[in-house]
Amino acid sequence: MKKIELQNRLATILILSLAALAALIAGGLVGYLLASGLPHVSWQFLTGSTKSFASGGGIFDQLFNSFYLVVLTLLVAVPLALLAAIYLSEYAKQGPVTTGLRLAIEVLSSLPSIVIGLFGYLIFVLQWRLDFSLLAGAMALTILNLPLLTRACEDALRQVPQLQRQAGLGLGMPKWRVTTKLVLPAALPGIITGAVLSAGRIFGEAAALIYTAGQSTIAVDYANWNPFAPTSFLNPLRPAETLAVHIWKVNTEGLVPDAAAVSSGAAAVLIITILIFNLAARGLGKLLARWLSR
Amino acid sequence: MKNWSNRLTGPSPESRCEAHGRWITRLALVVIAALVLSIIGFLLCRGSRLFLTGEGTLSAFLLGTNWDPGHQAFGAAPMIVTSLFVTLLAGLLALPLALAVALATTEILPRGAKRFLQPGIELLVGIPSVVYGLVGLTILVPLTRKLLGGTGFGLLTGAGVLFLMVMPTMTSMAIDALEAVPNQLRRASAGLGATRWQTIHRVVLPTARGGILTALIFGMARAFGEALAVQMVIGNAAVMPHGLGSSAATLTSVLTTGMGNTIMNTPENDALWSLALVLLLMSFLFNLATRLVSRKKG
Amino acid sequence: MTQSPAITVNQVAVAYDSKPVVSDVSLAFPAKQITALIGASGSGKSTLLRCLNRMNDGVATVSGEITFHGVNINAPQVNVYRVRQQIGMVFQQPTPFPLSIYENVIYGLRLRGVKDRSLLDQRVEESLKQAALWEEVKDLLKASAQALSGGQQQRLCIARTLATRPEIILLDEPTSALDPLSTNQIEATLSQLKKDYTIIIVTHNMQQASRISDWTAYFEQGKLVEFNQTAQLFINPKEERTANYLSGKFG
Repeated sequence: MKKIELQNRLATILILSLAALAALIAGGLVGYLLASGLPHVSWQFLTGSTKSFASGGGIFDQLFNSFYLVVLTLLVAVPLALLAAIYLSEYAKQGPVTTGLRLAIEVLSSLPSIVIGLFGYLIFVLQWRLDFSLLAGAMALTILNLPLLTRACEDALRQVPQLQRQAGLGLGMPKWRVTTKLVLPAALPGIITGAVLSAGRIFGEAAALIYTAGQSTIAVDYANWNPFAPTSFLNPLRPAETLAVHIWKVNTEGLVPDAAAVSSGAAAVLIITILIFNLAARGLGKLLARWLSR
Repeated sequence: MKNWSNRLTGPSPESRCEAHGRWITRLALVVIAALVLSIIGFLLCRGSRLFLTGEGTLSAFLLGTNWDPGHQAFGAAPMIVTSLFVTLLAGLLALPLALAVALATTEILPRGAKRFLQPGIELLVGIPSVVYGLVGLTILVPLTRKLLGGTGFGLLTGAGVLFLMVMPTMTSMAIDALEAVPNQLRRASAGLGATRWQTIHRVVLPTARGGILTALIFGMARAFGEALAVQMVIGNAAVMPHGLGSSAATLTSVLTTGMGNTIMNTPENDALWSLALVLLLMSFLFNLATRLVSRKKG
Repeated sequence: MTQSPAITVNQVAVAYDSKPVVSDVSLAFPAKQITALIGASGSGKSTLLRCLNRMNDGVATVSGEITFHGVNINAPQVNVYRVRQQIGMVFQQPTPFPLSIYENVIYGLRLRGVKDRSLLDQRVEESLKQAALWEEVKDLLKASAQALSGGQQQRLCIARTLATRPEIILLDEPTSALDPLSTNQIEATLSQLKKDYTIIIVTHNMQQASRISDWTAYFEQGKLVEFNQTAQLFINPKEERTANYLSGKFG
């Protein structure tokens, strides 16, 4: 009896100390990143542009590119994922087509992001002659985020009570209209949460981008709102280095003398942005749900 | 009579709307199917070119230890071994810690602890891999240098970065697996006089085994496919590693550095695509393993 | 007997995945009367009801003929949306949409593109009056429908179905989720409605069937056992199985 209790106590101590070690590592990691990065984050850092060989460069272009890429990607990915999710939750019958689609999505979700990046390079950049561009990057990231987004949308749609659908059908509404008018609004909070969470993932992705959106940024004109003008900041066909790619680039091939400062500052900005995305995903979903059920 | 027949048959705005909806959702289906098929197709096609053109043989590619594509040496074994090794090391390092955190939150600590930990774990899961790479560069590389001597870049550092990166994901999945164990089982075991540890290792862990294995495989799959974080710290020497401190290169790191420096349709470039194909096939294997493990559970 | 039937089913059979749940049912539902379908759960009564406005589409295979105004509405070329507009359905659970009371009532009309404000206003008032809900909600038409009580929500769903001016109203155990008081109100409403509508109601409550219906059909294991005027069927059942069920030996 004594032995068993001793064993119990020892095991508990072991588990708790391992857990404490993990917490220490994780806490130390985040703490270190913020402590070493935040001192470099200044207004000038956030709004200045990159210097190639000198120190004191900022990250404004990269920051903008990251956000713009999030918008472009979600513009393509959300409709596609939503339609696939609608098919899966509303239309799909048991059968080879549904099984095939689920398998396809699972295959996509297991692909390493570098593989998706290389596929994008091969098809979008070379074959379709988009060159290194925001558009090619957005399409690669669409592939990367499709599985997660589809899952989130499907879960959100399935949460909507079956009764609402029946009621709509009983009134003589076509299924498509039941879906768009009744099911979709009710599922919106879940869909938004999923979209914002993927936004965080897009924001931090680098491997899929180095060969699609490219590793350099051209000088752009932030006053030119014409997306077709080559120097416009909105032009989706220009190459664009994002913040995450910038961190990688500065550390592997960078020639700036203050690489450590720039990259730790950029990392801090990246983490804080993702934290905001995480919080926003939850907050927005809840807020919207409350507003809809007024 | 005729009137009613007309009213009840034939198309209406509603039936047109429905046809339209069906068509649109099918379109999404076609796009996704085309995407997946073309990814697999292009990688198969590109990845097999090296062997089809006769520039290299499959056995030399898989077993050869000399990688120098500029000089017709296409031995990928060093990268394959390195990739497998760092993945395994990272997974095995992360598993005990992930499991300990999961056990602590679900079995030992009070309920409130989870609400406190969850956002932290989510944040760590969301941290981009390049940031983990940066941490490796600024903390792990100097640390390894002090520990093992040499440059500090190498196998151990690579595995360390991957360990940091996959631990949060594995923790979160392990928590889910443990939470899926029905509470009645715990109560029944406690009711028979079992201590907490006895309940954990005789009831909870065996029940959650499938989920925990899934977490491990998922974590290792992520580690295997990770490119930039590893590439930043592993030293990028495409040779067979001979010790924990030696510089090495993974499949992904060679792809990352090499793809931009080779020209399409040259044997050097084809060899890189063959590496990408290996990566693809490995990700299928991981996927298959997950399926097998989660099926056994049910 | 009264006038010609509103809807007739002829040799209808239903199967889920080749598992039969209704077999060989033939029945003519009298117009502007209340017909109750009774039977134990699993007897196929709800499944048959759902055939009448094609709610089994994509769920089960339905064979046989269902004739409405001389048209076989079970035929594949039939426009199911038109059928459902003529033959409305109210479900077991109240299903108000997350909209105002007003918008709930005119939901079907809005979808059909009716924009005329005065027509919509008029329909709302008429339908709510027919469903005996007008007095309770006339001052809160803009309020959320989900704030109503369960019984009010169910009457709102009846009003929502009425607003599209169907000929037949199908009700699938409409009071099983409600308290006795709300049940009474719904029953009173239905008795009023039969002046203008053909009503077919599925219920597992025999007292309810005997209180409100003119005709009753008793189902057992997917088959129609007996169909007669309610008074006849309850007092003097012709079939022994009906008598057993009514006296409680079954179900």
